[in-house]
Amino acid sequence: MNYNWDWSVFFKSTGIGSEIYLDWFITGLGWTVALSLSSWVIALLLGTVLGVMRTLPGRFAARFATVYVELFRNVPLLVQLFVWYFLVPDWLPEKLELWFKQDLHPATSAFISVTVCLGLFTAARVCEQVRTGIQALPRGQAMAAYALGLRLPQVYRKVLLPQAFRIIIPPLTSEFLNVFKNSSVASLIGLMELLAQTKQTAEFTANLFEAFTLATVIYFVLNMALMLIMRGVEKRVRVPGLIALGGK
Amino acid sequence: MIRFNNVNKWYGREHHVLKNINLKVNAGEVVVVCGPSGSGKSTLIRTINQLEPIEQGEIWVDEVQVNNPRTNINRLREEVGFVFQHFNLYPHLSVLDNITLAPIKVKKLAPEAARERALELLVRVGLEHKRDAYPSNLSGGQQQRVAIARGLAMQPKVMLFDEPTSALDPEMIGEVLQVMQDLAKSGMTMMVVTHEMGFAREVADRVIFLDHGEILEDTQPEWFFTRPQHERSRQFLRQVLAPMHG
Repeated sequence: MNYNWDWSVFFKSTGIGSEIYLDWFITGLGWTVALSLSSWVIALLLGTVLGVMRTLPGRFAARFATVYVELFRNVPLLVQLFVWYFLVPDWLPEKLELWFKQDLHPATSAFISVTVCLGLFTAARVCEQVRTGIQALPRGQAMAAYALGLRLPQVYRKVLLPQAFRIIIPPLTSEFLNVFKNSSVASLIGLMELLAQTKQTAEFTANLFEAFTLATVIYFVLNMALMLIMRGVEKRVRVPGLIALGGK
Repeated sequence: MIRFNNVNKWYGREHHVLKNINLKVNAGEVVVVCGPSGSGKSTLIRTINQLEPIEQGEIWVDEVQVNNPRTNINRLREEVGFVFQHFNLYPHLSVLDNITLAPIKVKKLAPEAARERALELLVRVGLEHKRDAYPSNLSGGQQQRVAIARGLAMQPKVMLFDEPTSALDPEMIGEVLQVMQDLAKSGMTMMVVTHEMGFAREVADRVIFLDHGEILEDTQPEWFFTRPQHERSRQFLRQVLAPMHG
């Protein structure tokens, strides 16, 4: 390949104020992190509630959660995003619709759409992991808790979930990383996160290879860092000898 | 203290696990329930705290009807301790936290008071030095003693034991039986499903023999071991008392 790499491009002025192209990447990274973290909070909370519902004795709660999972897992993420961004605002009450479309900054409304979309999408996947985590526990755990008079919410909070979460930290970590990677769909509705900034840099400078190489490195380093953090978390909450955690 | 009036239970349509059970356990009594496997012993004691529902009849614990839908089953369970064959300690909590969880969460005991009570109980079962250990670091016998302490921490009126020594290595059975014997001496009302005939003979006030969901014998240990009334109980005794299974 005959290509003249020019890494100095990132330090060149964009022509807007004193901005250099690297600033675009930093802004983009900021959006990516903000998007991913807020989506993850939604996914973790909602996913846990749904996962618990799937294991409850009551049939209605379990069925509701099942329908939710099937719906959000079987429609492509991008389709879901377009629904949230282009269709859902039209279904809002008129005042809310106008506020969303006209009063909000376009970046804010896009941010809200992606966060909701990615949060609800990922919740379906978190739900399934929480459910398997709970179902992997011996039946005697819940029984012993009930036999001592603990109420259902206490049984989940104090006995089942603390163990289930320890079991599912590894798959949950990869879901957490997926959120960061999936957040790149936001570029398709004009939110200037990392991927969108990369594309824009490539178009402005014609240094396509450098721009995408840098983006690749940033995504990679970011995800590696998250993975290491999660591994640290896993070690910290490890219970001596709990078989489900595997290893020593 | 505990009364069964014409209790019947089925698993599904076909399997009649408890047949016309009538039974009374008085306060302070120690009753051993024995019988061949599949005879319904575990099911029988599990109905007392509604871990298993019943289809017919009535079960009373003191003045509370267990199988009445209006009964607050959690309240009842606070007063009925239960010890499982497989201990079922919470592996993510220390020994002390295993014991204090229910008193703090259910009885709303202050953490300090719960701790104190737990430590007293650990002394009683001889495991005060293990208070900060995790269940997986304890032997089976130690885990079962902690499980007994966990049950006692709720200050129950009755303690139910579901084959408490069946999952233990032989050399650990003695330490658990000793704790149970001490408990019996302190006046606790106990119902114990077990194959430990030595315990039945020495500690029990009454022995109940169950076969195919029916109570065949309900008598003093002495009578049970020397003059069993039914062929099935004689056969059972021959099997469990045989020095060797040949």
